Amino acid sequence: MNYFVQRLAFSILSLFVLVVITFLLSHVVPGDSAIVAAGPNAGAEKIAAVRQQMGLDKSLLTQFGLYAGKLLSGDLGTSWFTHQPILDDLKRELPPSLELVVVAMTINLLVSLPLGLLTARYNGTRFDDIVRVIAMAGAGLPIFWTAILLQQSFAAEWRIFPVAGRLGFDNRNFDGATGFYLMDSLFAGRPDIFADAVMHLILPAFALSLLFTAVGVRITRTAMISEFRKDYVLLARAKGAGEVRIMARHVFPNGATPSLTVFGMQFGWMLGATVLVEEIFGRPGIGRYAVKAVTQSDIHAVVAVVLVVGLVFLAANLVVDILLYALSPHKRSGS
Amino acid sequence: MTVFKKFTPTASILALSLALPAIALAEPTGVLIIAENETPENLDPANATNSTVNQLLVGVYDALVQFEAGETSVSPQLATEWSVSEDGLTYTFTLRDDVMFHDGTRMTADDVVFTLDRLQAASAAVTNDMGPYGSAKVVDDYTVSLILDAPFGPFISALSRIYIVSKAQVEPHMSDDNARGWLAVNEAGSGPYAVANYKPTEIVSLIASENYWGGWEGDHVAEVVFRYIGEPSTQLALLKAGEVHIAPDITVQDKLALMGTDGFTVDVGAAATPLYFQINTESDGPAGDLEFRRMLAQTFDRQLHLDFVLQGMGSLPDGPLPPNWAGHAPGTELGFDLEAAKAMVDENGWGDVTLSVRYLPAIEEEQAAVEQLQSNLAQLGITVEAEGMTWPAQAATVQNLETTSDINMIYNFPSFPDPHAILNTSFNSQNAGHNGGYNWAQYSNPEVDALLNEAASSSDQAKRAALYAKAQQLIGADYPVITVSLPGSVVAMSSAVKGYTYNVAHHQTFNYMDISVD
Repeated sequence: MNYFVQRLAFSILSLFVLVVITFLLSHVVPGDSAIVAAGPNAGAEKIAAVRQQMGLDKSLLTQFGLYAGKLLSGDLGTSWFTHQPILDDLKRELPPSLELVVVAMTINLLVSLPLGLLTARYNGTRFDDIVRVIAMAGAGLPIFWTAILLQQSFAAEWRIFPVAGRLGFDNRNFDGATGFYLMDSLFAGRPDIFADAVMHLILPAFALSLLFTAVGVRITRTAMISEFRKDYVLLARAKGAGEVRIMARHVFPNGATPSLTVFGMQFGWMLGATVLVEEIFGRPGIGRYAVKAVTQSDIHAVVAVVLVVGLVFLAANLVVDILLYALSPHKRSGS
Repeated sequence: MTVFKKFTPTASILALSLALPAIALAEPTGVLIIAENETPENLDPANATNSTVNQLLVGVYDALVQFEAGETSVSPQLATEWSVSEDGLTYTFTLRDDVMFHDGTRMTADDVVFTLDRLQAASAAVTNDMGPYGSAKVVDDYTVSLILDAPFGPFISALSRIYIVSKAQVEPHMSDDNARGWLAVNEAGSGPYAVANYKPTEIVSLIASENYWGGWEGDHVAEVVFRYIGEPSTQLALLKAGEVHIAPDITVQDKLALMGTDGFTVDVGAAATPLYFQINTESDGPAGDLEFRRMLAQTFDRQLHLDFVLQGMGSLPDGPLPPNWAGHAPGTELGFDLEAAKAMVDENGWGDVTLSVRYLPAIEEEQAAVEQLQSNLAQLGITVEAEGMTWPAQAATVQNLETTSDINMIYNFPSFPDPHAILNTSFNSQNAGHNGGYNWAQYSNPEVDALLNEAASSSDQAKRAALYAKAQQLIGADYPVITVSLPGSVVAMSSAVKGYTYNVAHHQTFNYMDISVD
């Protein structure tokens, strides 16, 4: 239990440091949000008035104090440009991105783990070579490029998948409680909308996952190879266990442990990379929201995005840690 | 989102076909889908200076007066007529008495005064162009007076961006933010379309308002949908797939290709948005020297830029004002003459000068113009250090003379077609960068200021034209800018779209209220 308290305390500390750094960096980066908010032909007097309304006339320390105070009470502030509580903006923008990441991560795991295991088992064969070449190519393709290639071929040219958006035109007014259309559509008893949402997710999710999957296969393969060389595999074989049983019962659970750590990190990295895919597939999301906030110097919104992405990153890693703990006898004994 | 009585196409068309099968009533029908690369910040009329916001509001709200698409003078909208007092300080408007807001309340002078008071209290960006506007007062239910602190010639034109809100609807939400939070996601207009669905990063849909006071004569669409698609190649794919009707942000090359393709139309609107190199006239370095600026003024080939960067879609600038505008003075800027510039460089020993240029690299046209300048000046031995920035960062640098670079690139987006909106913005010292304006050349010439101020305070159009012509001559002789281009507003659309006309007073918007889709 002590272990979890430690982990949690560490996570909270990391988040706090993240917020302080982002807040300070946002103020150091050149840019004046008051000029942007005041609009064209505002004049010095108006800009000064707007700056005061935005609280930007106060010292950096005072601004941070006010901001931190609000933050502690769970208030992320109001965006200077959307004039909405940033929490509301994020509640709208985070679900589409998370949904995309979850689907991409699922693809990643479904491909990486079995392929990693099989290439380890058939290490050095033609099959291993082919997968390795594909993985190398995949790891070398920039995400936005993969996205454009997939979109232009499977959507624009062959019309198998939709070009852009989250839902088809007929479902444009669909709205759900959570913002996760895959879930909302099921709650609403609309399998047709669920299918529509899936069709819109496939290309972006593949585009997002390709690079990560290429890495995932390689990492899993390496981990599994060292497992196959261990004595217990030899023993199992000597006792006459079948290859499938050896792989599924022995090698996989042990070999998966190191890859799990990487997959946990990948979840956070993917969230950071969604913007590349969202931009091309015309999907809303936290990435596009963040870019807009940065270009307008909407500082509180930028800090909030960093905070939320950081939270997701830490949560993913915490989940991995718990899984590892559950899997590992060493940690359970506390040594 | 407040729910209004919406025009429901299927139900009413069904009813129509059952009840009145033989009469061809002009009911809005069909859907117009527009792609847009920027997402709107909000729906607040306070923010209508932002074109991404304005393009949603232009058919949702009405103003006292309005520029119809294709027109360069205002027409009555909510006001039927107006008069100006002898001293030019009081504008009295007679309002229509038959205008209903979407919430069903009737528009009166009270709403107009409320709208203006709110915008002032909120320090709204949209009031920046109203000059010396002071206050508004109700005369009677359908008469309102707007009072200025000083005469201001273009005042009526400036009212075209002041969208009137329903007081009954907005007042309960004023709280301590002047209803900015509420109007950011709700509307309170009286225009032909009402906001039906606002997902600002995904899709916004507007529905023809059944009770629109102006009635529905002619062909109109029942629904207008904006889809937010940042990537030009995605917009193109959607246009080709028939999933959007208008794709304004595809690349110049793709627009060119679509010009010759069946089923597509490419409209080149005569926009009035000059792009400048603004040269820091207050610089301690060579840019502060008039002779050096005269040399620089000859180093940019506008024709080459028009031919290759804009692919001919635009017009050759002749000074900052569009040549067909009243008050335009021809020949105020020097033409491209690298030989003459070279001679000046040799004579004055400017061969090893280094100049800094700041620009927005996200804008292809600015990037290309900087590259041409860089390459031309390199031939003269002058090094150009180009620094790409974001808009807030670039705008912050010109707030002080010390941090203003030698040259800044900037477009001028006049909010109404009047020389004041271009010349006063870019050349009046009151609007110098260090005073918070867009005169990033930090240009200050008291004679020019006097001419611009006099022209602004007059409503005699012939006199104003003469004053502006004189001002351009003086500005030209000081070389504070190189006008790079007058790009056209190039919009690619499906040939099914009928009735699109570029509106110079509402740049980067679409007159969706006049458009029908076959």
